[in-house]
Amino acid sequence: MAAVSQLQRQFIEYATSLYNEGYLDDQFTQLQKLQDESNPDFVVEVVSLFFEDSEKLLNNLATALQQKIVDYKQVDSHVHQFKGSSSSIGAQRVTTVCVHFRNYCDEQNLDGCLRCLQQLNHEYILVRNKLEALFRLEQQILQAGGSIPMME
Amino acid sequence: MATFIKHVFVRIHSAVNSWEKSHSPCRRRGLHRDVEQDELQHTNTNCLSSYYSVFVARLAIMVMLAILIGLLTLLTWHFTKVYTRTSLNALAYGLRYELLQRPVLRMWSILNSTVEITTAQVKLSEYVVRKYSKPENQAQQVELYEVMKDVTWALFASHKALNSITIKYKNGFVQAFHRDPRDNSTYYIYNDLTNYTMAGPYDVNASSSHQGWNDQTIHSNISAIWYREPLDPDTGEKIGKQNAIPPDDLINIAGISQVPYGAPSWHVAVSKFTNSPLLSAAMPVRDAPEGSIVAVVGVTTSLYSVGQLMKELVEFHSGHIYLTSQEGWLLATSSTTPLLRNSSDGPKLMMAVDSQDPVIETGAKWLLKAYGGKPPPNHEVHIEKAKLGNQLYYIDSFFLNLKRLPMVGVLIIPRKYIMGKVDERAFKTLMILISASEMKLRAILISHLDARRKAEASSNYKSQFLANMSHELRTPMAAVESGKLVLEEAEFDMGRELEGLVDMFSVQCKNHNVEIVIDLSDDMPKVVQGDSARVVQIFANLISNSIKFTSSGYIILRGWCEDPHSCNENGNFSLDQKALWPAPKNKLIQQESPEKNSCKDKKVILWFEVDDTGCGIDPSKWESVFESFEQADPSTTRLHGGTGLGLCIVRTLVNKMGGEIRVVKKNGPGTLMQLYLLLGTPVDIPQENYKLKYADHNLKVVLALNGSMGRMILSKWLFKIGVPTWDACEWNELTHILQELFIPSRYAQSLTYECSKVESISKQEMEVSVFIIVVDIGLLNLSTDIWKEQLNFLDLFNKRAKFAWVLNHDTSNAIKMALHNRGHLMMVNEPLYKSKLIQIMEAAIKEKMISLRHGMLGGDTHEFLEIDNVHSDQESSNDSEKSEINTIQVEETRRTLSCSRYGAINNCFLELTEVCSERNKLGANETFPVVNYGDNSQERRIQYVEKAINGKKSLEGVRILLAEDTPILQRVATIMLEKMGAIVSVVGDGVQAVEALQNPLEDGMPTQTKMRDPPPYDLILMDCQMPKMDGYEATKTIRRAEMGTDLHIPIVALTAHAMSSDEAKCLEVGMDAYLTKPIDCKLMVSTILSLTKLQPKS
Repeated sequence: MAAVSQLQRQFIEYATSLYNEGYLDDQFTQLQKLQDESNPDFVVEVVSLFFEDSEKLLNNLATALQQKIVDYKQVDSHVHQFKGSSSSIGAQRVTTVCVHFRNYCDEQNLDGCLRCLQQLNHEYILVRNKLEALFRLEQQILQAGGSIPMME
Repeated sequence: MATFIKHVFVRIHSAVNSWEKSHSPCRRRGLHRDVEQDELQHTNTNCLSSYYSVFVARLAIMVMLAILIGLLTLLTWHFTKVYTRTSLNALAYGLRYELLQRPVLRMWSILNSTVEITTAQVKLSEYVVRKYSKPENQAQQVELYEVMKDVTWALFASHKALNSITIKYKNGFVQAFHRDPRDNSTYYIYNDLTNYTMAGPYDVNASSSHQGWNDQTIHSNISAIWYREPLDPDTGEKIGKQNAIPPDDLINIAGISQVPYGAPSWHVAVSKFTNSPLLSAAMPVRDAPEGSIVAVVGVTTSLYSVGQLMKELVEFHSGHIYLTSQEGWLLATSSTTPLLRNSSDGPKLMMAVDSQDPVIETGAKWLLKAYGGKPPPNHEVHIEKAKLGNQLYYIDSFFLNLKRLPMVGVLIIPRKYIMGKVDERAFKTLMILISASEMKLRAILISHLDARRKAEASSNYKSQFLANMSHELRTPMAAVESGKLVLEEAEFDMGRELEGLVDMFSVQCKNHNVEIVIDLSDDMPKVVQGDSARVVQIFANLISNSIKFTSSGYIILRGWCEDPHSCNENGNFSLDQKALWPAPKNKLIQQESPEKNSCKDKKVILWFEVDDTGCGIDPSKWESVFESFEQADPSTTRLHGGTGLGLCIVRTLVNKMGGEIRVVKKNGPGTLMQLYLLLGTPVDIPQENYKLKYADHNLKVVLALNGSMGRMILSKWLFKIGVPTWDACEWNELTHILQELFIPSRYAQSLTYECSKVESISKQEMEVSVFIIVVDIGLLNLSTDIWKEQLNFLDLFNKRAKFAWVLNHDTSNAIKMALHNRGHLMMVNEPLYKSKLIQIMEAAIKEKMISLRHGMLGGDTHEFLEIDNVHSDQESSNDSEKSEINTIQVEETRRTLSCSRYGAINNCFLELTEVCSERNKLGANETFPVVNYGDNSQERRIQYVEKAINGKKSLEGVRILLAEDTPILQRVATIMLEKMGAIVSVVGDGVQAVEALQNPLEDGMPTQTKMRDPPPYDLILMDCQMPKMDGYEATKTIRRAEMGTDLHIPIVALTAHAMSSDEAKCLEVGMDAYLTKPIDCKLMVSTILSLTKLQPKS
């Protein structure tokens, strides 16, 4: 049991650091609260959806910004979607970049857009790695027979 | 026309002849057979003559017919053509007008900003000069100049469009900053100080500002040496050595001659440094208000950007634009030809007729020839066909009548460019039937103009243009101002609306540690006529504004009725408050005198005040806060951030309701907004006289409330209606009062002032009195278990008094249960205000009456209540109770809804609706103890103890259609909703959403285009941005389909935008509410509940 509580403590510490460093916000807690016996894998499921969606959107954005004549409206709509999905899982830093991104879109500032895309890529990969690590910890706890501690 | 008719005649004649030729022989033969021989000879001649007469008659008829047909055709052609022409001309005129207005507007804004900057520089200079008035030695004098230099640089550097700022002092000394646009270099220019007298010029006593200051031009002042030092354009630091410059390298320096009579002036100047004319403004600097002139400030701006805008415009529209002074000097043109001509003594302005641009030159000459020295009044000319060279042109001129610098704008546009298609077809139209082609023609022209507008929109000049335009175009204000706002006229209960608003804001206030109080006088009419939604909007804006700027203290919403016949006396308000209503009030009443007559038509003046203890508004901004669009100063934006629009709309609405609003002086910190509205009141509903009403009941009230302001106002009101009152603001005080009142040995020592006249309360009196003890839940110590002890203490008095509890929004169910179990059945949500207190009193009186009737005088009323209400279990929960619950709940929902419409969604909204849902459930599943007050229809908020709520499934059974394209949001929202018990169907775009409504998803293909009745869903959650059809379009489609039916499916927008304009858009297309992403579960649930419960369940 010591191992379990060790893992649980680790889990809490890690999750707290994610909140403190702004990777995640309250929305993620909301998601966790929605998870119950009837939807045991809800968080993982939604977050995987987010990964899929994000990778698709990042690709679309990269393509759209490489066009000779950039269709900023389209770029904006992708970013808008990204903002919606990232905010829905609580990936706060991704959302923030989206907000800046949209400003550059409004200005039709290609340099700014490209910079933001890079940043978006970066933030996305960061949050993906962090979330994957968090889920691994969860798995370990479950395998060790413990329960996932609730974040408050 | 004559030839045409002749031609027709000839044609007809020949046709008739040929017909005659071919037909007459056979006729003759026919006749021959008929009449035969004997009359042969005779008939032969007769027949011939009759032939001719028939001929002529026929011919005449045919000719006339032909002429008629011809005329008709011509007339039709003529009229349709005229009509087409006029409409086309109107369109063309519109375009030309638009085109010319823009440069004129730009010019206007340049003028404005130049004058503004000049004024700013003058103010700064005056500040500096006054600070260093009467310099005693050269060092101080130099310090003055140094400070002035720094100040001026700051202003100059922050306005890149400026060409120069100059300051010429009375003693002849000059300081100037200059930008040379040719190489973008910046210079500081000054003259040799030593040549000027240092002392003396600042003699304030000099009677005339001109005395001792003759305006010797700088150029002729040979003794002066001028220096110029290059500066870093950004930092203003010296980046090179100063050089003496020759006089002709000098810029224009505004001197005393430019400010005759000390008035500011402006004119157009030229400079050898730029090939565009300059706008130069000059203003005097005085050493004291109304004092003598000590310096003259000059500011010059280039008119270059006007020409630039003109060039951009003609790129899209072709043609030529130019702007001249009234005398005809060119200020800006759309062509690249020079605007200035070089003469021996530097560049000079050029007349439009001398322009090197051939079209402008000929156009100007044409105008000169046509109007000579006598331009038409207003200088407005609209020529449809002016022949310049060998082409036809439109010539339009518009006049900008500016004081001291009237200007004329001229637009010359090739006619073929606008009317080309029309002119070209003019010939063809003669031939064809015009009615059909006319439409086509118009369509062509319209699309032509449209395409041009679009091209224009894509260019970036548009954004520049917009930036210079008034903000109003881009704000919802425009809609308010443009008269689109039509006020509804319906009866509503003003008091109830305002109380609802205060309820709504109370949670927010509580969180801010601010007390919100509503104080409506008894003379307020119960029902008024007007637009309740807009009235609520006014107060919602004012209150939310107050909350924003109030960090402690209170916010009071006061209201009273101005009886125009017996002004000013209003016993409801204390003296110090009255002192706050200064002279403007009387003035307003006088202005209202026409309205006094209309009082007979049952118009009332309702006065309101929103009084807060916030940071206050600087008196100098009391007016400007209402017109905050113009707030350019960032500091004011910071101070009043976000409020500008709100207050501006408030003022518009108030004015629309025949009222006025202003900030008035307040004793003490904070802001006091005062306004009145002129509203109709339908009938003379007799006012309730509370004094009479409660006289017989021997009411006695203990008010144990946290909020001191609310308590004070209520106890004053109680005192007024003759109800003895005791005040307590914390627990110990309450125990003290209770012990004194109810424990005889200790009582009668000291009562609070209100009750001092009640010298003693005998035992009998105690027994016939109705004692009400109103206790704020906040008085209990809820953080520990002490509150149970406190309740035990109160139990001692439970038999002798009625307790009424004021609950918080976050009072837990455990506490409500505990209170209930102890027999405390009367509870209201805070804030407590008059109408809630009235309900409490009525309930208490009623209870007393019942207990009297049952012969239980002074007995155990507590038990009685329980028998009456709580012991009536499931079986006894009869219909009347249920319907009562429903009315309460619908009432609440309606109000939260109406509030949510104004974007004032806040925590309170949540709280209210949660209460609703809880109640609803209780009403449906369990006994809900309700005291039925019968005739008292006002009861709304008395909230009785609720039994524990069964789970959190507040959306049980609600059928929701979720239209959302992002899988993540689909999933998250679905889970959230399903957890609440809702049944969710998901679609991925607007088209599917519309289809799903026509045909629920499981039914397969849509079979009908009508909305299904009953609808398959209770509510739609609609993402705004979706592929195929976005949420706005889908909503519009659904609403269109609902037209003509009484269906209205609630649609809630989901969007990642968080701007209020998006909310406006959502509501505009017919959505009912608005949620932003990420979805807040609580808010979503409460929104859904508030919307679905209104619908009659199918």
